[in-house]
Amino acid sequence: MTATSMATAASTTPSVAGEYLTFVLGEESYGIEILKVQEIRGYDTVTKIANTPAFIKGVVNLRGRIVPIVDLRIKFNLGKIEYDEFTVVIILNLGGRVVGIVVDGVSDVMALQQEHIRNVPELVSSIDTQYILGLATVEERMLILVDIERLMGSQEMELLDSVTVH
Amino acid sequence: MSIDMSQFYEVFFDESDELLAEAEHLLLGLDIQSPDMEDLNAIFRAAHSIKGGAATFGMMDMAEITHVLENLLDKIRKQEMALTAEHVDAFLAAKDVLKMQLDGHRLATAVDAEQVADVTMMLKGLSEGVAIAPVPTLTAPVAVPVAPTAAAVSAVAPAGLTRFCLDLPALNERDDRNLRDELGLLGSVSQRVLADGRSQWLLDTDSSADDILSICSFVIDVDQMRVSSEDTAPLEAVAAAAQNNIEARMEASPDTRTKSGVEVQEEMGYGLFETLEQDKVEEGYGFFAPFTPHPDAVVATMIGDETPLSAAVEAAQRTTQQAETSTERSTEKSIAKLSDKPVKKDNEKAASTAETTSIRVGVEKVDQLINLVGELVITQAMIEQRIAALDPVQHERLVNSAGQLMRNTRDLQEAVMSIRMMPMDFVFSRFPRMVRDLAGKLGKKVELVTQGASTELDKGLIERIVDPLTHLVRNSVDHGIELPEQRRARGKSETGQLTLSAAHKGGSIVIEVTDDGAGLNRERLLAKAQQNGLPVSENMSDAEVYQLIFAPGFSTAEAVTDVSGRGVGMDVVKRNITAMNGTVEIRSVPGWGTTISIALPLTLAILDGMSVSLGSNIYVIPLNLIVETLQPRTQDIKTVTGEGRMVHVRGEYLPIIALHSLFNHDTDITDPTQGVLVLIEAEGRKSALFVDGLVGQQQVVIKSLETNYRRVRGISGATIMGDGSVALILDVPAIIQMGQSHNYITGAAAYASRPPQTKEYTQ
Repeated sequence: MTATSMATAASTTPSVAGEYLTFVLGEESYGIEILKVQEIRGYDTVTKIANTPAFIKGVVNLRGRIVPIVDLRIKFNLGKIEYDEFTVVIILNLGGRVVGIVVDGVSDVMALQQEHIRNVPELVSSIDTQYILGLATVEERMLILVDIERLMGSQEMELLDSVTVH
Repeated sequence: MSIDMSQFYEVFFDESDELLAEAEHLLLGLDIQSPDMEDLNAIFRAAHSIKGGAATFGMMDMAEITHVLENLLDKIRKQEMALTAEHVDAFLAAKDVLKMQLDGHRLATAVDAEQVADVTMMLKGLSEGVAIAPVPTLTAPVAVPVAPTAAAVSAVAPAGLTRFCLDLPALNERDDRNLRDELGLLGSVSQRVLADGRSQWLLDTDSSADDILSICSFVIDVDQMRVSSEDTAPLEAVAAAAQNNIEARMEASPDTRTKSGVEVQEEMGYGLFETLEQDKVEEGYGFFAPFTPHPDAVVATMIGDETPLSAAVEAAQRTTQQAETSTERSTEKSIAKLSDKPVKKDNEKAASTAETTSIRVGVEKVDQLINLVGELVITQAMIEQRIAALDPVQHERLVNSAGQLMRNTRDLQEAVMSIRMMPMDFVFSRFPRMVRDLAGKLGKKVELVTQGASTELDKGLIERIVDPLTHLVRNSVDHGIELPEQRRARGKSETGQLTLSAAHKGGSIVIEVTDDGAGLNRERLLAKAQQNGLPVSENMSDAEVYQLIFAPGFSTAEAVTDVSGRGVGMDVVKRNITAMNGTVEIRSVPGWGTTISIALPLTLAILDGMSVSLGSNIYVIPLNLIVETLQPRTQDIKTVTGEGRMVHVRGEYLPIIALHSLFNHDTDITDPTQGVLVLIEAEGRKSALFVDGLVGQQQVVIKSLETNYRRVRGISGATIMGDGSVALILDVPAIIQMGQSHNYITGAAAYASRPPQTKEYTQ
């Protein structure tokens, strides 16, 4: 699946209500669509890939599939970067492409209604606001809802060939 | 060398099954008012592929019917004819017939010759009937001219003999004499010449129509003649005869039948064809009319069943409202109903036996199986490790069970792996025969050379490469290699050479079809492209021009033969290969030949690899690209301007590429004399790859990095090692190129001062 088709798939679903898996990066809480999550695992040794940005940790063997692991903490410069038995990897299945993301911790699965969700104001952050679906307030906490499929398909994540497949 | 052909047959059967199913699916979804050209093309390709395969395996009956089918489809595809519901019906009927024939070959089930003939005629009628607007009337023009003859002479036919009416093309004197002599052996012959040079022969004989056809086939092309019996409607008989003729040609020894009457045929039985022969007798083609219709049946139909043609025509005229279905048709229908039962029963029986010999499973399922077994092996290794820590005396039973688990797992793994991998030989070995037959047919001399037949390829790829390769080989023989006289005139040896080769090359498998024929003609390709309305210009590069031959319906061949020339083949080739994520490249030198090079990714190809260590990482180097490995002495290491390091090996100076600096890895070993130099060679260039140490040699299954990630320069893929970790496979040609184009300083310290090459991975 190409980046563009991922993007169109996302834009056709204007409603962002639904179930979200929430996770923590540093002090912030993020939410991703639960249906994009394949499984949650501990952090295993990865095989490093030469000449890749630091946030791409490498690849692991996930039951015979070669799956790249991205450390979102490094990518967004959040949280303490250490790898121990508590480090969590969320395995995402984005339209057939399997990618793992390293986060500080997984908190909950939440059902969000449309009224919980607010638009994102224009601001400068290391996540381009175009990848943020909205902000939700849950018990005084702000939840950043990320369009993980678009984010992972984006050029800056460098997970796809820059020359996209026809 | 004897080759077990049965495996190829099996593949062909499976493929044809699939193609037929697909064609049916497409046909059923076809919108008659505005048919999708893409769908029509797809149906056409399916027919074409089946024809090719059937012809290769000598199943002429299938080849024949698909040829007719193809002709008709081609007309519709080119919009010379509008698609009608009748066409679709005919195509579906043809699909059923093909399926029946396929089962006939595969399971030795009975083939309903009547149905085959009926459909063949229907298709022929449709494709010839460009001018005849409503299709159902197609039987009328055929039936009418023969009718008076039949009516006139039918009374004269001597008892016990059948009178056949042979409609022959214009013959030269010698053929005429030969034919008369041959037929004279069967019975008494009388002849009359028609206005257009065609002649009509009347033959009273006790032989059957297929005997006559097999006799005639020695003298003339039987496709151009028609045989009809007086006792039956001519159309039916012609059709039946056409089918019989096919069968007669299929039979290894048609002679055994020549003099025998129908009774004898029944006794002889032929084993496989017993039911068929009996059916034929039951259906009778009107020869002996054993079929007695129910007395209550509609009068018109009854007449059609039993009476000679003249009556049938009258009956048809009387019942004008029934004219559409035509008497012959309704007759056949009622007969078909009767004969249906035994045929079906046979089919079912045979089908159940066939299911046990081979099943077709989705590649994904096999992949999943392979992955799961891989996991199992790792889990098993873990258990073994745990057990090794236990006291073997106290846990004797556990240890024994674990040992058994290990053996079983290993067997399982081997068995599962063997499902997918096959040598290219599986594909290549089907070509010698094909090339020989083709060359013979075209009057050319061709020598086939195969290289790299042991290259192992994923079964999925092997199966899918067969069709494209078949087309390419056919094309090369038909269009590429010239006739012996032309070759001699051009100063080449009379025998053309066709080379098939397979090799692992730079992260892909390259399969090439090379001929030393005429080469591609740029001017003609351009002219043809313009004629076909393709956007072309004189400024296009040769490579672009050559790619034109992959456009659908593009053919520069002057005549459409049953070998190639319709311009479908290349379209299919391109499509199939693109579907496999492969690329096709054409190199051609006019007058010297053409090479068509197919590069396929080695998604699941197996690789003999050498694993090497670098810091904490393991890399795999393809063994076939390794020349040797050595630990250099200090005096062998040379430098140029104190930088580019080289090693002096056997009189050669080879550049040293330090993998750790190329890949920016941490390692303690930065001095080549402490590590190992692996001499690699690719694309004619040699380098010494400097790694920490050798780990071992093993076969690895190549997995694509691109499935979930992307292409990485210097890495052709990944594999899973015995302990479950991932090791990357080096792309040797790319590494040599990287080493040469960057001219970096060997050694981690020097490298660190340079900016990291983070933008290196895309080409």
